[in-house]
Amino acid sequence: MTFPERMLKIDRRIIFLVIGLCTLLPLLYPVGLPIKISSEVRGVYDHIESLPEQSVFLLSIDFDPASKPELYPQAIALLRHAFRKNLRVITMTLWVSGTGMADQIVTQVAKEMSKEYGTDYAFLGWSPGGQAVIINMGQDLYSAFPSDYGGRPTKELAVLNGVRNLKDVGYMVDLGAGKPGVEEWYVFGKDKYKFELGGGCTGVMAPGLYPLLRSGQINGLIGGLRGAAEYEILIDQKGQAVAGMDAQSATHIAIIVLVIICNVFYLSLRRAARAQGQAG
Amino acid sequence: MKREGYLVEGTCGRFVGPLLVAIFCASSVLPSYTAAETAISAPQDVQVFDTPSDGGGSLTVQWTPASWDSSELRYQVLLGDASSTDPSTFTVMAEFPANTKYVKDTETVWWTRDVDKTWHHVVLRTAKDIEIKDGTSYAVSVATVRDDQRIFTPVIVATPSPDWFNWNQLNNLIIAISFGGLIFYTISHAKRNEIFLRRIPGLDAVDEAIGRATELGKPVLYLTGAHDLHDPSTVAAAVILGKVAKRAALYETELMVPHREPITMAVCQEITKQAYLEAGKPDLFKEDANFFITSDQFSYAAAVDGIMLRKKPAANFFMGHYFAESLLLTETGASTGAIQIAGTDADHQLPFFVTTCDYTLIGEELYAASAYLSKEPVQIGTLRGQDIGKAVILTAIAVGTVLATFGAVTGAEWPQIILDFLSDVK
Amino acid sequence: MIFLRRQLPLLITLVAGLLFAAQYYVPHPASEQMLTSATKWLQIIGGFALVLGVTSLFHLHAVKIRRQEAGWGYSLVLYAGMLGTIAVGLWADGKESIEGVMTSFGWVYNYMMVPLQGTMFAILAFFIASAAYRSFRARSREAAVLLVAAVIVMMGRVPLGEYLVPLSGDVASWILNVLNASVRRAILIGVSLGAIALSFKIIFGVERSYLGGGKE
Repeated sequence: MTFPERMLKIDRRIIFLVIGLCTLLPLLYPVGLPIKISSEVRGVYDHIESLPEQSVFLLSIDFDPASKPELYPQAIALLRHAFRKNLRVITMTLWVSGTGMADQIVTQVAKEMSKEYGTDYAFLGWSPGGQAVIINMGQDLYSAFPSDYGGRPTKELAVLNGVRNLKDVGYMVDLGAGKPGVEEWYVFGKDKYKFELGGGCTGVMAPGLYPLLRSGQINGLIGGLRGAAEYEILIDQKGQAVAGMDAQSATHIAIIVLVIICNVFYLSLRRAARAQGQAG
Repeated sequence: MKREGYLVEGTCGRFVGPLLVAIFCASSVLPSYTAAETAISAPQDVQVFDTPSDGGGSLTVQWTPASWDSSELRYQVLLGDASSTDPSTFTVMAEFPANTKYVKDTETVWWTRDVDKTWHHVVLRTAKDIEIKDGTSYAVSVATVRDDQRIFTPVIVATPSPDWFNWNQLNNLIIAISFGGLIFYTISHAKRNEIFLRRIPGLDAVDEAIGRATELGKPVLYLTGAHDLHDPSTVAAAVILGKVAKRAALYETELMVPHREPITMAVCQEITKQAYLEAGKPDLFKEDANFFITSDQFSYAAAVDGIMLRKKPAANFFMGHYFAESLLLTETGASTGAIQIAGTDADHQLPFFVTTCDYTLIGEELYAASAYLSKEPVQIGTLRGQDIGKAVILTAIAVGTVLATFGAVTGAEWPQIILDFLSDVK
Repeated sequence: MIFLRRQLPLLITLVAGLLFAAQYYVPHPASEQMLTSATKWLQIIGGFALVLGVTSLFHLHAVKIRRQEAGWGYSLVLYAGMLGTIAVGLWADGKESIEGVMTSFGWVYNYMMVPLQGTMFAILAFFIASAAYRSFRARSREAAVLLVAAVIVMMGRVPLGEYLVPLSGDVASWILNVLNASVRRAILIGVSLGAIALSFKIIFGVERSYLGGGKE
């Protein structure tokens, strides 16, 4: 087997090792390259900035631990921004496997921003039904969530004063890793009950949500770890996402270099085969 | 004396002239203030009525724009009890600059619009202090406001009520019924006539893959996706399974179909059994060819990866809807050297299938493939109806693009009228 | 029996399908109330579906253990995991933490479920690298276009790529916002028309595969 042939059939584990090192080393020795802000992420940020104090902000944390690396930093950044703007923050989840994690996220940021449960924020927890929950919330939020995650009656929470259903929500952002996610919140929520909607999603899903963004169905989109890093820059509080961008940069460049190397060997083999064919 | 008279006359003449000039200059420099004070009045042609096509609990207020509309002036919309006649006692429901809030800012469509788009438009709904109830009459007045001055319109009484039909969605209903009718027409047409369906290139790959598995003496692995049978992709996957099972039966190749959904498993079991019967090999049919693993995403992926690594199937089929587990499945399959064919309408996962599989049926090719294989008039007719629907949409897009480009290049206004029509009809 | 298995489900599908399709166009509170009731029922049934899923899993693996089929040891592990998690979950009343103190259920969630799920998802990064190395070859013109677009977008979406090639960010953004969005829209339109067509067929009983069973 020639050298190009051996390189084309290289053991996958070597590639895994390269990727592993490219992920690990920048995390240990960060570089801190500048990050440009995109209009998609700015759309969400600007809308939250424009909300008056005490506006109702609904955040649906619709992901499970598998998507935590990408969506957890988005959730943290959004909550910090919302609390800083003194909005009334209502959080919930449509994914049962993400309930514990969602509770942790909200509690952690609220504690950091010295916010009081019931007055400044609430976590409604999870309710079965997916899009059925969205429709129910659109009619009567207290019927969809008669009690919050801690078992307290939602009608007694001061943070929900004046909020009867989704029509009373000032702005809603869904952080979705699949179904139900941003599309379901648009189809069963915004289209029917007419509230402003923004989205956050994993990097894989982001390209698929651009049609919704371009048509104005969502007014902003935070895509993947890059989107989370941009949002952290905007709120001037760098966190896990910015730290992870160095690793992501290195990994992307590594994949590009590997692809280029692979094509060089492939083309050289093809040329050699053609030359052999002509000689033969 | 003469001199004094001249002085008096001269003095008067000297002051009157400049005074007249000063008055003239002042009036030309400050015309608006002087003119606005006389021209401002209460809003004209005010209409107050129950908001149409809604669930009740709201009133709509409209009035003509005025020449003095500007950001320096404001409008107030006031609501009070129907028995009250003094608008100054009413509650202010909305207050905004006089050059904002027009009909053109709302999402109304031309067939429900009674007034010009330039009219002012406000919708009154229940607010913190006042609830608007269906069946209860309310008095409404609109005021022009400048500083402390308010000029009210006469009070108009209206009663909100809910409606039984949302006329703004009429276009949606007509399009839905038309498309439904089209589908049923094309299905009935397909039952009576033969409709040509071009061969889907991916189907040749299906035969080749099963043949390869037979040659190598290894099994065929077939996955039906993450969704249940309410999803068209799972229905299509089940139909293609019938063909694959029949071919596997003919070649006496082992077939493995792990499932995430018990109901899908039951249906696929029947389809597989039927396929073996049709192939004339009922004795080769195994009940446990179709088996349920788990509905959890990554547990399922881990289990199937294990099957691939242990059993090393020569051909893997990934048909249906997939999520993040797609790459875990296909890359593991690729590492075992299997020939892989995918068919999915999950556009988020298409890049992964395209890079790791030998052939991918993209989106509707999956539905078309199942129609082609089954030869059922229902499937073929549906496909034809969808194609006609797409042709209509494509035509609208093409016409809209040409009109928009023409309008932008020439600056003509008439293309915008047609574009607005298309925009409302969508 | 045929009526209960075939005709009745089809009738229910027809009535419910038409009713809730019409509901979208009726803004009256009575219509909204009907939708609210139906979605509450859906939520209740969704809860029962969870029970059904767990029971089905229990039964399947119980059979495997009883017959000592190949891999029955894994079924035992599954049983132990399921029963253990249910037990600690009931003990902790379904809470991961009580007044800031992590419960045993929270421990299982944070130190078993979160790392396991994260690991499965993290494998994707390695797999995409090996898939890219194997597949991103300029075998044809289309493959070359795919390769170039992939490289540009990968460069443009990370700070290092934008630093090395400043134009890559804007080009990547254009590819995503213009080329990608239009193609996704096209696929979305096609798939949506398919879903609408299937919905009509199911409502009017033309498509019956969801009922199970063979052809009639």
